[in-house]
Amino acid sequence: MKRFFTMLPDITRSLFRRPVTENYPAVQSETPERLRGALKWDPSTCTGCGLCVMDCPAEALELTVLDRKAKRFVMVYHVDRCTFCGQCVMSCKQGSIVMNNQSWELAALDRNSFATIFGAPEDVKEALANKPEDGAAKSE
Amino acid sequence: MPDTAASKRFTVPIGPQHPALKEPGHFEFTVDGEIVTNAYVRLGYAHRGIEKAAESRNWVQNLYLLERVCGICSHIHGFAYSLAVERLANIEAPPRAQAIRVIVAELERIHSHLLWMGVSAHEAGFDTLFMYSWRDRETIMDVLEGLTGNRVNYSANVLGGVKFDVTPTQADIIRKGLTFLEERTKHYLDVIMHDTMFLQRTRGIGVMTRSQAEVMGALGPTARASNVQRDLRVEAPYAAYKDFPVQMVLDTRGDLEARFEVRINELFESYRLINQILDNLPEGELNVRVPRRIPAGEMIVRLEAPRGEVFYFIKSNGTDKLERLKVRTPTICNMTSVVRLSVGHQLADVPMILAGIDPCFSCNDRTVQIRQADGGAQPNGLSSLMSWEELRQYAIRKYEAR
Amino acid sequence: MSTLSALFAISIFPGGLFLLSSGLLYEWGNRKLLALLQNRVGPRWFQPLADTIKLLAKEEVIPTGTNKFLFIGLPMVALAGGLTAALYVPLAGLAPSASFDGDLIMVFYLLSLLTLCMGLAGTNTVSRFSLIGATRTLTQVFSYEAPFLLALLGVAAAAGSWQISNITAYSGQHWLILTQPLGFLVALIGLMGKLEMPPFDAPEAHTEIVAGALTEYSGRGLAFFHLGKAIELVIGLTLIAAFFLGGLSNPLWFLIKTLALLFIMVVLQALLARLRIDQTVGLWWRYGVLLVLVQWLLMVLL
Repeated sequence: MKRFFTMLPDITRSLFRRPVTENYPAVQSETPERLRGALKWDPSTCTGCGLCVMDCPAEALELTVLDRKAKRFVMVYHVDRCTFCGQCVMSCKQGSIVMNNQSWELAALDRNSFATIFGAPEDVKEALANKPEDGAAKSE
Repeated sequence: MPDTAASKRFTVPIGPQHPALKEPGHFEFTVDGEIVTNAYVRLGYAHRGIEKAAESRNWVQNLYLLERVCGICSHIHGFAYSLAVERLANIEAPPRAQAIRVIVAELERIHSHLLWMGVSAHEAGFDTLFMYSWRDRETIMDVLEGLTGNRVNYSANVLGGVKFDVTPTQADIIRKGLTFLEERTKHYLDVIMHDTMFLQRTRGIGVMTRSQAEVMGALGPTARASNVQRDLRVEAPYAAYKDFPVQMVLDTRGDLEARFEVRINELFESYRLINQILDNLPEGELNVRVPRRIPAGEMIVRLEAPRGEVFYFIKSNGTDKLERLKVRTPTICNMTSVVRLSVGHQLADVPMILAGIDPCFSCNDRTVQIRQADGGAQPNGLSSLMSWEELRQYAIRKYEAR
Repeated sequence: MSTLSALFAISIFPGGLFLLSSGLLYEWGNRKLLALLQNRVGPRWFQPLADTIKLLAKEEVIPTGTNKFLFIGLPMVALAGGLTAALYVPLAGLAPSASFDGDLIMVFYLLSLLTLCMGLAGTNTVSRFSLIGATRTLTQVFSYEAPFLLALLGVAAAAGSWQISNITAYSGQHWLILTQPLGFLVALIGLMGKLEMPPFDAPEAHTEIVAGALTEYSGRGLAFFHLGKAIELVIGLTLIAAFFLGGLSNPLWFLIKTLALLFIMVVLQALLARLRIDQTVGLWWRYGVLLVLVQWLLMVLL
């Protein structure tokens, strides 16, 4: 039997409803709870084991251990390299790393802002001073 | 144009940049009017050196590298790799993890098949079906995003298990999505089976007989549409497929219509399977610890990806890096059928036949392609392309002469 | 007709500016409605205009191996054909600005000029996609032209005149869709074939032959062809609405009737998969011609 117009029900329904396309910047749907967004790192629970750095497939993490006992760590997180796989969250036994499901609009106009530096201000200063090649890499 | 034999042969190039192919691959179709008289394929435009790159990364990092072999069936690559590594390390992921892996694999199959249906409909100029199937595919994308945290590269696997649990709330969301999709899929099955205009483009086009399919080594739904019983989930069940068997979907006709029907009927099977697993999800741990150094050895893992069999070979030398990796994706096996089947068809059918195998060029661009040069003779008097038998005879001669 | 009014007719209304802008708006209507039927958002109202401006501003690349004169001239001829045809058509429900006995045939051929020019433009280039596209375009012309013409001539025969103004005057009193439903159907689908809309878009099937005959065109030439097509859409809709839907007595009726026709065309576009070129030819010669002949037979018998 010949049948034409099999999709007629769909298009009639569509005539009386709004397009499904999300009007994105104006209307934003809620992000799922598990969405893997940019990292957050908590230095207070970190032990400086460096597993996260070792397992990161994109080399997006740099951890500088200044003083393990005093918990003086500096973490540089390159969000532009991050593939949001979540392996660092799995690797961290202390749960110091979490992925923030709210921060996913990560575009930026200048390159430097892609590196997020976690840590106490004085530690950051010291860590960056000790690693000149890191600073050079960022300014290129 | 000079009046030579070459100019009389009219070849239509499709690719590496062409609106029909969203990925780079080169096809040359010699046409006589609208009829294709000869076809030629050249692949390798998207070679990324993933196998070599895997040798310089540690076992954990490779998981995410290999997940990016394919954008559509990303989970199956992570699945295959972690299964291979776990078998090498002689550990087994907990049952709950195995079940969750299968859930994600089946969700991925659903999204891949819906995507394929849209693409094929688009190649046939049926854009309404394309738009609607992709609209409904969003449901599964949202489900996957809510379940795993990402829409494309789900990263559901870790070595030794999975990253996340399926909570009862999640299960309800999945069930709801599947109920909606089941309704829609019934409608699409009706469309592709009965729409006269669409059937004109699919029925009797690109017919591959069973023996052809076997000779050409077709895999996955492409082979199953030609009644080749080849589905690793049934033949060699792995992970949770052992406890939750699937029914193989077969068709005897072997044309494009059969490929449509096989894939859509596989959707129903996936819906049923996911619901069954969700209802009987094993309790227990989500993952087990995997040592950083994997014992030396070799391992082969074959899994059923949405497009067919995915083959993984891993060789470990006992360090924290692997020594050799070999990946073979189903598209490369099905590509022969495109070249063979398009001969004798109209040029207008060629994109449909090509789309019919659900090609994924970037996944398959890993192998060495041998081009048959005209004459093809090498300095040592051998042909550049030998059949298996020729190669065997050559080897016998060579060793006898020693 | 004084020089001034002739100039007005050519450059402002109904030719020229009015025709171009209405053509672009109808093209937008086509795209927007199709998008709505597919549950999408679709383009904004000025999108066809923006596309045209962009194309006009772009560099025109003339590929090697083509006849430059033809390459530049064909789009102009195509557009000119459409613009000229508009003078004989009751656009916006107003009387045509020019008229003579037998202008129906002329309008018909002026409309075919666009397709012909596209075919020639395709064969003029050495691109293989263009050549196949041109072959398909010309093949398609031969398939739908005869039934389309026969369907329109059915109306002319009923009105007893070959002059569009006389025919519209006659059809203003009679809803010919009631007496010639088959002719209406063939004319409407013939128009879709003429405009290479789905399902008759095999000549420009982009999944096979990129953009068909116009693959090598860029910039101004492409813009002219697009404008020509947009104009042909308006003229074709006007003709069919005037002939079959009880004439176009005023601009409001014009708008309502042509939009109704456009809507039917969009629904058909949304619901039908693309035909292969052999299927197109088969469809027209097997069913299209048959339908029109049955229509003529009925007219003769009744």
